[in-house]
Amino acid sequence: MEPIFAQAHPPAPRIIGAVNWRGLWTLYLKEVRRFLNVFTQTLLAPVVTTLLFLAIFALALGGAGRQAAGVPFVEFLAPGLIMMTMMQNAFANTSSSLLIAKVQGNIVDVLMPPLSAAELTLGIAGGGVTRGLAVGLAAGLAMWVFVPLRIHDPAILLFHAVNAALMLSLLGMIGGIWAEKFDHIAAVTNFVITPLSFLSGTFYSIERLPEAWQIVAHFNPFFFLIDGMRYGFIGRADSVIALGLIVVPTVNALLWLLAHRMFATGYRLKP
Amino acid sequence: MLQPMAMAPAPRRFGAVNWRGVGALYRRETVRFYRYAWESLAGPATSALLFLAIFHFALGGGEIRPGISLFAYIGPGIVVFMMAHSAFEGGAIPILFDKMEGMITDVIGAPLTPLEILAGYVLPVIANAMTVGAVILMLMAVFVDLPVHSVTAIIGFAFGASLLLALLGLVIGISVVRWDGYSAVETFLVAPLGFLSGAFFPIDNMPEAVRWVFHLNPVFQAVEGFRYGFIGQAQTSLVTAALVLTGLSLVLGLVAWRMLATGYRIKP
Repeated sequence: MEPIFAQAHPPAPRIIGAVNWRGLWTLYLKEVRRFLNVFTQTLLAPVVTTLLFLAIFALALGGAGRQAAGVPFVEFLAPGLIMMTMMQNAFANTSSSLLIAKVQGNIVDVLMPPLSAAELTLGIAGGGVTRGLAVGLAAGLAMWVFVPLRIHDPAILLFHAVNAALMLSLLGMIGGIWAEKFDHIAAVTNFVITPLSFLSGTFYSIERLPEAWQIVAHFNPFFFLIDGMRYGFIGRADSVIALGLIVVPTVNALLWLLAHRMFATGYRLKP
Repeated sequence: MLQPMAMAPAPRRFGAVNWRGVGALYRRETVRFYRYAWESLAGPATSALLFLAIFHFALGGGEIRPGISLFAYIGPGIVVFMMAHSAFEGGAIPILFDKMEGMITDVIGAPLTPLEILAGYVLPVIANAMTVGAVILMLMAVFVDLPVHSVTAIIGFAFGASLLLALLGLVIGISVVRWDGYSAVETFLVAPLGFLSGAFFPIDNMPEAVRWVFHLNPVFQAVEGFRYGFIGQAQTSLVTAALVLTGLSLVLGLVAWRMLATGYRIKP
């Protein structure tokens, strides 16, 4: 009689240590491949838009040796534009990923696997940071063809680039979890993210603002990101760089805790 | 004994034009526009005011030419830019959405001629785009002084720009198969046409040798014509601008009509 061995040797359950590295890596790859799959929309489009912004502002304002903050206007503008497009794309990546998954119902594929709230936060934020940095790098290289970009302090530059991408990825996650319809996230993009990224010193030095608004700007974390990024390029900032080095990571830590908390409690994710 | 056939409602009779059918399509687009007014109306209005604010802070006001303030110059440009964008989106997205979701059968199954379908898709979009323009102008007028030189030119070129971009949108919406295709056309054709239309800067800033390229851009012709309605000056002749917009609209209208008549990428 032929014994049946099927039950005798079931596959052993995978032993997962403190961190589910394989799951985390898979989630990260999913997030990255998601945007690479449509790279015309997610990488090329923002680069083209950024170059168009550079063109119109250079043509409208760059003439007659116009300077801003002591450097030629286009050199002042380029770091701001790189930062703006990084922010918008990092936000778009995580918010659309979560919202589409929620609306289509395939969010269960992310919530069911043995991934902790910390791993979910890290994996999805990692995808957004990668998109932000990739777009920023591509936009920077494309601009470099037209504008002589010099780098004053690579460490400061990298610090602000990574923190900006992270801040907007976290905001995108929080927004994507909170939103129930595409209208909601479109409203946040239209009325919060775009205005903040436009008005936080991308196109002008905040010295040009009325004094009261200069104080308001210092409560806007986007301002520190753009200002710090610009310092990394041209070596001149509107604010004190050290202040940004404290404010920006603090804001990121708070946002991280909030996103983590949302995953842990299943806010608007689990029934 | 009841005779069911005798009780059946008589078929609806309509004359040369199925007004009720066109009206239904028109109402559908209008209802959609106002239901999503936060995105379709408040979104462009916010962007327009943001552009105005940026130029104000970056340039610090001033005059762009003697007697013409910065705002009087770029304000109308921003309005056309936003109207063009709204018209293109409004022309392309509904028909692409109908195709993707399979709802297009409800339209082609109805007793509508190709011309009636064309009218039903394009006319409401023109009205919506001009509404966007009007709302932005009213909001701008709160913050800046806009001179008015010719109301006819303002309305005429607003209509021309909306018509052209709505038809372009419809042709693109029929031609592309997926959202990627739509977004590629928007990024690589419509956005450059809009940004490089002289809406935001006078083409005097460009080297003489490349200025003629701008004249080939129909959005440039629309911007200059529309702006003439405010400041009474244009970099192009108004006749040329009107002819370019009318001619291109006719061509695109014919293309869209043929596409609808032959069922290009619509019927299997």
